Amino acid sequence: MKNLRRKNKRRPKPLLESDKKDAGVTKLTSRDDNELDWLRRRAMYASVVLIFFFAVIVSRLWYLQVQQGDKYRDLADSNRVRYLEVAAPRGNILDRFGREIVTNRPSFNVVWIREDNKINDEWLKKITNALDVEPGEILEKIRKMAHEPGHLPVRLAEDINWETVAHIENNRMNLPGIKIEVVPLRVYHYGNLASHLIGYLGEINKKELESAEPSLYRGGDLVGKMGLERLREKDLRGEKGRNYMEVNALGFEQRNLKGLEPLPGNDLRLTLDMELQKTAEDLMAVEDYAGAVVALEANSGRMLVLASAPALHLDEFVGGISHKAWKGMLENPHHPLVNKLVQGQYPPGSTFKAITAVAGLAEGVITPESVIYCPGHYRFGNRTYRCWKRGGHGAVNLKRALSESCDVYFYQVGQRLGVDRIAKYAKLFGLGKKTGIEMEHEKAGIVPTIAWKKKRYGKSWQEGETLSVAIGQGFDLVTPVQLALMTAALANGGTLYKPAIVEEVKDPDGHVIESFRPQILERLAGQGRTLKLVRDGLVEAVNGKRGTGKKASLKDMGIMVGGKTGTAQVVRLKQYMHLREEDIPYKYRDHALFISFAPAENPEIVVAVVVEHGLHGGSAAAPIAGAVLRKYFEIHPRETEVSAVVLFDELLVDASNSKADTNGNLKHEQTVMEN
Amino acid sequence: MLRFDRRLIHHFDWVMLLMLILISGMAMANLYSSTFNGESGVSPIFYKQLYLLVAGMIIVLLCISIDYQEFSTFGFILYVGVVLLLIYTNLFVSTVAGTQRWINLGFFRLQPSEPAKLILVLVLASCYSKTEVKGGYRLRDLIKPVGLTAVPFVLILIQPDLGTALMLGILFVSMTLFVKLRWTTIGILVGAGLTCVGIGWKFLLKDYQRRRIETFINPEGDPMNHGYQVMQSKIAVGSGQTFGKGFMEGTQGHLHFLPERHTDFAFSVWAEEWGFSGCLFFLGCYFFLMLWGIHISMTARDKFGVLLAYGLVMMIFWQAVINLFMIMGFLPVVGIPLPLFSYGGSSLMTTMVAIGIMMNIYMRRYQTS
Repeated sequence: MKNLRRKNKRRPKPLLESDKKDAGVTKLTSRDDNELDWLRRRAMYASVVLIFFFAVIVSRLWYLQVQQGDKYRDLADSNRVRYLEVAAPRGNILDRFGREIVTNRPSFNVVWIREDNKINDEWLKKITNALDVEPGEILEKIRKMAHEPGHLPVRLAEDINWETVAHIENNRMNLPGIKIEVVPLRVYHYGNLASHLIGYLGEINKKELESAEPSLYRGGDLVGKMGLERLREKDLRGEKGRNYMEVNALGFEQRNLKGLEPLPGNDLRLTLDMELQKTAEDLMAVEDYAGAVVALEANSGRMLVLASAPALHLDEFVGGISHKAWKGMLENPHHPLVNKLVQGQYPPGSTFKAITAVAGLAEGVITPESVIYCPGHYRFGNRTYRCWKRGGHGAVNLKRALSESCDVYFYQVGQRLGVDRIAKYAKLFGLGKKTGIEMEHEKAGIVPTIAWKKKRYGKSWQEGETLSVAIGQGFDLVTPVQLALMTAALANGGTLYKPAIVEEVKDPDGHVIESFRPQILERLAGQGRTLKLVRDGLVEAVNGKRGTGKKASLKDMGIMVGGKTGTAQVVRLKQYMHLREEDIPYKYRDHALFISFAPAENPEIVVAVVVEHGLHGGSAAAPIAGAVLRKYFEIHPRETEVSAVVLFDELLVDASNSKADTNGNLKHEQTVMEN
Repeated sequence: MLRFDRRLIHHFDWVMLLMLILISGMAMANLYSSTFNGESGVSPIFYKQLYLLVAGMIIVLLCISIDYQEFSTFGFILYVGVVLLLIYTNLFVSTVAGTQRWINLGFFRLQPSEPAKLILVLVLASCYSKTEVKGGYRLRDLIKPVGLTAVPFVLILIQPDLGTALMLGILFVSMTLFVKLRWTTIGILVGAGLTCVGIGWKFLLKDYQRRRIETFINPEGDPMNHGYQVMQSKIAVGSGQTFGKGFMEGTQGHLHFLPERHTDFAFSVWAEEWGFSGCLFFLGCYFFLMLWGIHISMTARDKFGVLLAYGLVMMIFWQAVINLFMIMGFLPVVGIPLPLFSYGGSSLMTTMVAIGIMMNIYMRRYQTS
């Protein structure tokens, strides 16, 4: 400080001098001055270096920020933005009255986004503790995804319970990269009803993944594997949403960015009546029957019941079926995996006699009054063809032949027609070819012709075989759905409708994007009377004294039912001929069939029942058809009752109208008074 | 106390002060953003730097009140002091992150290597201004300046703080090339320098230092470590595009993708949030400040003033260039801050003193010694 003060004291003088003269002009002495100037020049050069570097830096920034800016903006975004796919709720499946058959519930999966963090022992320990699983299980799941891109989540656990969800949410900070994914799972409100029709979901397989559009699915997604779930996959699946999140460098979510809402799948409203379906399936289950029940509207082709027994246990398919359950189904003698509605092919047995009768009448080989004598057997060539009634029916006309199911009568009709003419009518009733119903692996059945046999076996037709065909044995094979459609055509005057399962498809906003319209496959024209005659025979079969289908009668409800029993031989083996029916091994017992329609005068509903190895159509199949019909008429009371209700309603409407009138009059009066 | 000269106020360096305030303002805004935490709000780091900035302003005032000529004499005392501090640091200070750099003074953690830069400039300026050599310096004339540089250089290198050590070397070269050298001297120096680099690479560099340089050459080969830092910095800078993401809106910084975002990589945050236009404005101010320093050097009244102002500008300039080159991916990651902009008390104080001295030189440009 002393020093400073001294200098300051000394200084004022020169300062004054420099004030007078400009510094630049100040002449200082010689070399020192030159060197100072030289140094000052050097400083100026330094500024050139500075400006050079400034230019370099600015151009680099220009390059990074302006030239390459978009690229780096993308890189920054991919740094911070993650997305999780949000599964779309699958479309619901409803019955014809809008009752829910299949809907969704949310389920919670634990997923890990690999690019968010690296795996280490500590992390693995925490996650295995949280999920209560073995580390190996987790590692295996991660290994499976090793070849997929890192932003795709690895599913570590599926459908976890609420406590686990809460535990993981609470420990989010300790579990980097771990997220909870909400995925809708199927709920089956009617249990296993209509299980073959509905089908089930399963994890998408490699082949499906490769053939689908890449944006729609990724590994681990659930897709329809069977039934409507598979056939209507496009309608039901909806569109996935995306949840965008901002994450920090450690992979923790910071905030949600604007995402893409998932679009739910379309709802399917079926033509099915689940109450009828339940009636049919319950009875089949109670009796432990294998077989099929089909009911449909006679005049539209809308299917009301589509039951294949035994049912599939749909719940076992949710989240992947176990090996054990699968094996059990494969080994079950009742073959639950087979959809008997369209995959089961049965000889139609006596139910086919209705077709033979139509053919006979239409082709003029018989009249309703034609009488054929039945001694209990019929000799043709060197063989004797038996009637089921050993003692014979005696003289029978068409009505009796149908109601008592006389074989001899139809042997002769068949013989008169020849097999190709029978086939012509069978085909008009939809037999022998696929119906086009929305079910998988439908079988066509067989309607034999001379040409068919030649082609199939390379052998010529034996006349005797025509006799078997005429009573629905021999080569004849039908599916239960074909049987039902045939009956419907018989009942409605000859129109063969395409079977319909889906009444309408609605998008999530409630717009109908597809609705059912009846489609006609075949029409038997000009045979109204013929069909009426056959129907009369079938009505007699249910309601007549000696009818074979009496167990389907609804006489107590005042409703006339028409029906035909059928008993289809599975094998004709000598060794079983003398056994009592109950002693024949299950798989060699006859199939029991029954077709029916009601009300007889104006059929609305048709029911066909096949009970595999059920022995007799009249005792096994007819009661089930009867129960379904009974249920139907409980739900849809007869017109006489209906009209009474309508009348009552009209009365009520009239009453309220008149009330409104009086009010109006009163008002009028008031305005008058004001005037 | 002082008899204050009225004309000193008349000649006061308003330009430098204005630039200082502008740059500090931007630095504080940037620090606010880069240390802001979504949960706890404004970071204490911000307030700490704010207090230091105020203290720095006072130090600037102190610096301008003493004739800079005094530093010529003080310089050597300060030099001895800083060398002692460096020795103390190396011997007694516990290791932080693998290096020994800071002395804890309770309220402030002093990093003696920061003032060492300034003091080296001071003693070199003093040294070169005193010796007069006809026809340029010979090699033996450089023994003293080399010795003055070598002592802190080695002490800092063994901390180890390669960046700052190299900084001292660069300052020595800048200062020495500034004065008149013989061509033979330049040739010998260049040869010796290259040999040192070769030997240093082989024997002196620590593994992590070597790796940094290697990853700089091939950054994608090591994405999670040092290459990662450079890559993230480039992404931050580039993603700022022309107009930036907006104040406090930088994702690279706020989501912690950017390492050291308030210290060495502070400018990346600025570049991300303000874009090319913001960078241009900042760098305009920044380089204007340095050019103004050159102007001070050119108008200084004596050799010491010229050398000192020049040296101080070089000190700021080279740190800035190295830092910015690192941020833009031109150089490997070395721990060199951007003076006045990066968080760090020692660096801030050192730079403020440097600016104070420059203002001092400017104010006294008309005085004769």
